Amino acid sequence: MRRIVCATRGGEAGRRTQEYAISLAKERGVRLDFLCVFDPGFAQDLSKELAAAVYDEQRWLGRALLGIARARAKKEGVHAGVEVRFGPVLETIEAYLRQVDASALVIGAPRVDSALTMFKPNRMRGFAERVAEHTGVEVIVVTPPDE
Amino acid sequence: MSQFLTSETIVVALVLVATLVAIVARRRRLPYTVSLVLMGLFIAIGTPWKYQATPDLILAIFVPPLVFEAAFQIDLRELRENLALILTLAVPGVLLTTLLVGGIAAFGAHLPVGPAMVFGAVIAATDPVAVVSLFRALGVPRKLAVTVEGESLFNDGTAIVVFRIALAAVMTDTFDPVMGVYDFLLVSVGGIGVGLVLGWIIAQLLVRLDDRLIESSLTTVLAFGAYLAAEYFDVSGVLAVVVAGLVCGNVGMTHTQPSTKIMIFNLWEYLAFLSNSVVFLLIGLNVELALLWENLGAIAVAVMAVVGSRAIVVYGLSAVTRLLHRGRSISSSWRHVLFWGGLRGAISLALALSLPATLPGREELQAMTFGVVLFTLLAQGTTIQYLLDRLGLTERSPHRVAREARIGRLFAAQAGLRRLEQLYQEGLLPDEMWIGLRDGYRQDQMQVTYEMQELFREHAELEEEMLFQARREALKAERGALWDALRRDLLSDPTYEELSTEIDYRLEALDLIYSTRHEPRPADGEVER
Repeated sequence: MRRIVCATRGGEAGRRTQEYAISLAKERGVRLDFLCVFDPGFAQDLSKELAAAVYDEQRWLGRALLGIARARAKKEGVHAGVEVRFGPVLETIEAYLRQVDASALVIGAPRVDSALTMFKPNRMRGFAERVAEHTGVEVIVVTPPDE
Repeated sequence: MSQFLTSETIVVALVLVATLVAIVARRRRLPYTVSLVLMGLFIAIGTPWKYQATPDLILAIFVPPLVFEAAFQIDLRELRENLALILTLAVPGVLLTTLLVGGIAAFGAHLPVGPAMVFGAVIAATDPVAVVSLFRALGVPRKLAVTVEGESLFNDGTAIVVFRIALAAVMTDTFDPVMGVYDFLLVSVGGIGVGLVLGWIIAQLLVRLDDRLIESSLTTVLAFGAYLAAEYFDVSGVLAVVVAGLVCGNVGMTHTQPSTKIMIFNLWEYLAFLSNSVVFLLIGLNVELALLWENLGAIAVAVMAVVGSRAIVVYGLSAVTRLLHRGRSISSSWRHVLFWGGLRGAISLALALSLPATLPGREELQAMTFGVVLFTLLAQGTTIQYLLDRLGLTERSPHRVAREARIGRLFAAQAGLRRLEQLYQEGLLPDEMWIGLRDGYRQDQMQVTYEMQELFREHAELEEEMLFQARREALKAERGALWDALRRDLLSDPTYEELSTEIDYRLEALDLIYSTRHEPRPADGEVER
């Protein structure tokens, strides 16, 4: 049975995206995987000890974050797996989609006015198109309800 | 009336006036320090009462509590993030300010170069008390407040050392640059050394004691004792107090009981409030308007020199820091705040008052100093909030305030419940009363928890913030547990060191991860990395 992958990293769009992915998995009756990808690029200028701590802490936070998502899925009767990976975001997500033979990828777009956004709407669309093109997987971008 | 009673009357009168000003300032939402200066000016003009503040009074009595309190409550981990910039502004920045202001004053106000450089040193130290108290009230990012406060803490000490060297050169008419650098290093390093040693000793005592009154007394002895000891050895008293405060606050308080911590922090908050109030009142009382009027031209030059050199120092040195630290720097909005928030205050006033009577142009230098202090307090101090608003640094969304209120209510409810349980276990509460009260509290807690969940549903970013906060708390608890294990001989020193260092790195990593996720990217024109 092909599965749905929800790439999430918490934040403003996190919960909305997770809830959408849970409802989609329930509707399609497939397994759901929550995936959290950290790009360790910013740690390259740090000291060896601090860079190692950043790696460990990201892994810890990723697990905690996905643990919350999994608990949400369980509450809705959906079985979910969790996976924390490191690497360039696009390539790492694509590799995971291929590895698990995913049928769909669910990602979230933060509010446009959100100060926290790394992904502006046009970047998100470009990102989704690239993943779909490279992997052939359906990509669903969950946007805020009022946008 | 005896001299002693007269002095006591003056002190009581000053505290009374300061308290009345505080009441009015808080009710009318006026900048407190600016209100104090204005009240001092008003008293100086409207009454025959004059009170000449001596430099020793300000430097030895009022500055140590101010500096100690600020250093004591600064978390070294927070300071470390922008330490390069803070130290750059506090050391090369002070030297550059002295040269720039001195040069402009010599050229524009036709002062001899020596006294002009002394003026440059007098006015080099920033005093952001007015700004930092505003930061706290407006909820400005903590790291910005730490950067502004950190710079001020270190530049106070540097400016005093530079002032001493410049003044000695003018008074003896000789200046040997090599000896100047040697003196600068000796006095600075000496002050830091005294602060480290005394701070460490008191911190070790605090770690081993569990008595809030004794611990409070020890911090008081440290704040004033570090200043006195350093001055005794002819090294920097202010730097000694800064370092002692940092060491004591970061090492000595790590395992203190919460109730003791609260008492010590309250004590220092009060002593700093008292010192701050009296110092700013004294600034107003010591300004001679006639002298200012006579030197209006020189004051205008001095103000331009100070504001212009501040711009060069902040924007120029932060660019240099960015180059030297692989592109990491503070945002442009923070730089604007550092520039316009560079107020001058108590240290400049004290140094100006300490100028020897035989110094050429002494009165003019004092007038220029008072003029600059007044300008920065009245012009910059009253407009900084406007700048913060324009830069979007004071925005606190209603849902963040709502979350804070709910966390506060949960904390309060848990404390209430714990206390009731304690009373019940001690047999002071009958069964049915305990059950009734407990259920009431539990219902309150459930209601607040439900409201929090609803908030998280509507504003998911709050959930992520909570995750980081919870993780931070958990790591601190882990470190506390390691300390307990060490004290109970379950761990050896090296193992404790290794594991606690690991946790410190994890805490630092957590802050780094949080800041990279929450600071806008370069594309947004805010942070340059």
